[in-house]
Amino acid sequence: MSDYFSKKKTLLYNLYKVNRSVGSGNAQFNMAIKNLRIYQGDKIAFIGESGCGKSTLLDILAFIAQPTQSETFNFYLQDQEPINIFSEWQKRHFDPLSQLRRRYIGYVMQTGGLLPYLTVKENILLSRYMLNLPEEDEAVDKLITDLKLERHLNKSPSVLSIGERQRVAIARALAHKPKIVIADEPTASLDPYSAKLVMSLFVNLTEQFNITLIIASHDWQPLKNFGLHRYYLHTEYSSQLTETSLI
Amino acid sequence: MLKISKLAARDYFYEWQISACYVLALGTVLGPLLVLFGLKFGIVGSMVSQLVEEPRNREIRPVSSGRYDIGWFYAMHKRGDVSFIVPRKRNLAANIQLKSKTAKKILDVELIPTAKNDPLLPNIVNPPTDIHWLVLSASAANKLAVHAGDVIDGSITRKVKGQTQRVHLKLQVHGIASSASFIRDGAFGSLSLLEAMEHYRDGYAVEEIDWPGEKLKSKGYYTGFRLFARTIDDVEPLKKWLNEQGVNVRTRAHEIGVVKQLDQNLTTVYWAIALTSLIGYVLSLGASLWANVDRKYKELCILRLAGFRTIEIICFPIVQSLITAVLGWVLAIIIFHLAEFTMASIMAEQLESGQRVCRLLLRHYVLALFFTCCSAVVAALLAGVRATKSEPTEGLREL
Repeated sequence: MSDYFSKKKTLLYNLYKVNRSVGSGNAQFNMAIKNLRIYQGDKIAFIGESGCGKSTLLDILAFIAQPTQSETFNFYLQDQEPINIFSEWQKRHFDPLSQLRRRYIGYVMQTGGLLPYLTVKENILLSRYMLNLPEEDEAVDKLITDLKLERHLNKSPSVLSIGERQRVAIARALAHKPKIVIADEPTASLDPYSAKLVMSLFVNLTEQFNITLIIASHDWQPLKNFGLHRYYLHTEYSSQLTETSLI
Repeated sequence: MLKISKLAARDYFYEWQISACYVLALGTVLGPLLVLFGLKFGIVGSMVSQLVEEPRNREIRPVSSGRYDIGWFYAMHKRGDVSFIVPRKRNLAANIQLKSKTAKKILDVELIPTAKNDPLLPNIVNPPTDIHWLVLSASAANKLAVHAGDVIDGSITRKVKGQTQRVHLKLQVHGIASSASFIRDGAFGSLSLLEAMEHYRDGYAVEEIDWPGEKLKSKGYYTGFRLFARTIDDVEPLKKWLNEQGVNVRTRAHEIGVVKQLDQNLTTVYWAIALTSLIGYVLSLGASLWANVDRKYKELCILRLAGFRTIEIICFPIVQSLITAVLGWVLAIIIFHLAEFTMASIMAEQLESGQRVCRLLLRHYVLALFFTCCSAVVAALLAGVRATKSEPTEGLREL
């Protein structure tokens, strides 16, 4: 316990009054993040009903969705000046954002998002391939073993079940040992048994690699036993606007 | 860039059925275009080049005898549109009887004046400049049964006070003109030989070869000429100029005009069809590539999420378009050669040796490839840039 408090936690994200508005007319949606700080090694779950903007929040944190307004949106790397993400978006500096994604972020999509023209192994190694990391790596082998993917490595993603695809997506997100893994409803399309299994593997692996885990889910129940810190997304509806804020 | 190119190629060949459709669509538009151009460059081109290469089509002949001094010939020789000119003497004085030891028959032929660079004697390196030298037409050489280097007897006659006089001259066969150049029996000789024959027939002596007669007072005028324009395009202006000088001439202007008109008409038709096809081709190529990028939008967003840079994302459809362009071009060449083979088989009897109905040069293939690749790159570039303008999140949620 004393060790835990004596360690100074490293800040990764600092968001203050960050908004993203989309749509127009009667179908406006506004996502408001009043204050959010995420540290290295955090395990966070954003919980909210379907359509409340969980994916939007994750996309903002993954630098693939541009905030409309922001007072502070900084991303921190060790021994470096904070990177003003909002400013990068405004200047349309897409490549530095791509570089941050490539190096520091792994993303697990709700539907896998695997590339159909690559084999399972190539999908898993895509992030390593982009970073010129060697294909052969003990940690990756362990990842493949833990996720029970050995017999599927040379298969096309199209022949896998949804659960298997989700496991491949998790392996891909972790293979290059990123600082952060963002997962959008990673178990939503799985049956409860598989969901528990996959989630357990996922959390264990991120803990092993000291990876910051950010998950979005509509249901807290399957996540509650994995030690995740929970944030609720509160949604208000009016005739013209759906507004979600992070509590 | 190599990484994204490899991924693009993997995706392209993974979806081989759709890719094959793109290649087929491109090849079947470009192929007929190549055939059309091949026809234009082949059969029509060879007709025009035959016209250009056939020296007789550049010949300008005087209709009647005239009086031309040597100064006129020098002036004509200096003109840029004249490739060859040599004076002629009276036709009646230009006949000579030839006899060889190997043939019984005496051959009566016309002696045609020649000089260096005679278009009718392209195979004779040194035309006869000596009074004792002669170039025979293939037909005459055949009838006399002689070859280059043989010596034959040449004789001419004249009537003086009712008496027929004949003189002989040893003539060396300096060369044989090709049958394509001169079909009839004939002989090409130096202008000095022709002048000697005319002087003798007029009753004068030719001291150089000991032909008797009166002493020649003046060389006089030439009655005609052998004139060749530099190109077929020079024939008509030269004819016009000569007519303006009061010299009536005959040319093959009509035949030249017919083929040139045909060439012009075919060129117009060709370009009308080619331009229409070309516009259609570029639009269809652009539209299909654009649609392909649209179809690939979600996957491109995945690649953007994975961290590929903007330029790499733009490269993805460009690489695929280039593969389509190259394969489509190869298919078009196959279509072209099949069409060429078929047409050549059908028209085999009508074609002369070496003549081709449909023909393209290496540079035409290269140009077609270059143009196809450029169109493909532009279309894919526009579509690729469009795909990177939006946020990656927009395409992801659909996967």
